[in-house]
Amino acid sequence: MPEEMTERLRSEVIEAFHRKDFTTPVIGITGGKGGVGKTTVSINLACALADRGLRVALVDADVDAPNAAILLSMPLKNPLEVNITMPLIDAERCNFCGDCIRACRLNALFMPRGKPPLLLGECNGCEACLLICKVVAIYRGRKPIGSTFLSQMDNLSLFTGALIPGLEESSPVVVAVKERAFAAADQFDIILVDTSPGAHCNVINALKGADKVIAVTEPTPLGAHDLDLILRLLDLLELGGSVMLNRADLPGNKEEISAIAHKHNRVMAPEISMDHMLAMSYAAGVSVVRQYPKAASSKVFHRMAEEIATEYGL
Amino acid sequence: MKLCVSSTGKEKSSRVDIAFGRAPFFLIIDMKSMDMMKVVENSSAAAGHGAGIAAAQIVSDAGVDAVLSGYVGPNAFNALRASGIKVFEGVTENETVQEAIGRYTRDEYKEKTAPTMVPGCGGGKGRGMVKGRGRVGCRRK
Repeated sequence: MPEEMTERLRSEVIEAFHRKDFTTPVIGITGGKGGVGKTTVSINLACALADRGLRVALVDADVDAPNAAILLSMPLKNPLEVNITMPLIDAERCNFCGDCIRACRLNALFMPRGKPPLLLGECNGCEACLLICKVVAIYRGRKPIGSTFLSQMDNLSLFTGALIPGLEESSPVVVAVKERAFAAADQFDIILVDTSPGAHCNVINALKGADKVIAVTEPTPLGAHDLDLILRLLDLLELGGSVMLNRADLPGNKEEISAIAHKHNRVMAPEISMDHMLAMSYAAGVSVVRQYPKAASSKVFHRMAEEIATEYGL
Repeated sequence: MKLCVSSTGKEKSSRVDIAFGRAPFFLIIDMKSMDMMKVVENSSAAAGHGAGIAAAQIVSDAGVDAVLSGYVGPNAFNALRASGIKVFEGVTENETVQEAIGRYTRDEYKEKTAPTMVPGCGGGKGRGMVKGRGRVGCRRK
């Protein structure tokens, strides 16, 4: 990672990242590596919290592959379209200055000789062309890029963001599903946000406004490597939280995971071992806490839910 | 008539570049006098996105009438055609620009009249700074 990444971000960036206009606690579930169990932890924690009588919102912000609904067997309901701006060019107003062509970072616009610009390439809706146009010859068209959904099961509300497969503009869908849940924050006692794997823009977008983060990982070299990456990102964002070890009894190096967590000033959350009941519930598309409440992993999730409820006075 | 040849270097003795959008240079030849009028650097050769469209903009702005290259991607093709620029494909990597011009005058290259692929599939040869973006959803016809 470049040296400048280890520096502190400017205070206004940090302030904007942590700003939220409601008091409902928000917990992010991330982890860097894919397949470590982020969504499994998310859905089980959501169910464990809901079973305590809390009104829980779970936001599935992995919009490229949303799957919390599958693991909960909850059908996607109440769709809302997510659109981005597509520039529409008013040939009458265009003065052929070419500013929009130069402003487009994706080189999506082309100005044929003697004609107004055409949109030929892939546009991500950034609106730079609209901003730069001095003669106001570009106006907003709309392009659907995905949907958000709201599904409900007792006092658990699942917000899902889904990008239209094949499109690249996943970020506005992440923002949209967060906004939809955050707009209803007053109706919930707690909000959980399940991120995509990685340590990129969409993970940052998903964690914006979170009060703390649970970084899920596994005791493997890749789990350790990606955990360090995500924790460096979280440090940079000044976002605290814990590390949760899943499949803790794999024949891997648990101490390395603890050392990484310690290096980043993070406590180890209760760990989950390989649990046949958890695998069974996963295969059945239900939470283990509801399907097999006495399973070892269910006890861990209930304990975590209790700790969270205590911490936030819920 | 001004012909633009995608090139690896700045001289007529340079080897051609067979990928239009990612070529480092465009040599603009006056086909009447056979003189090289201009060398235009392709500032978008390493663009992460839309190199073909940006390259088409550069050569369109340079006022060329035709483009000669090995392969012109669908976005670049559509852009060039929107400017009324003819597109010729088929130069091979061992040719020099000089040789390619000779073959062009003998009508040995085919004019391309339709894009070969669905646009936006990264038809470029991946020479940009951002390599192997693994663009999900590229549907090749």
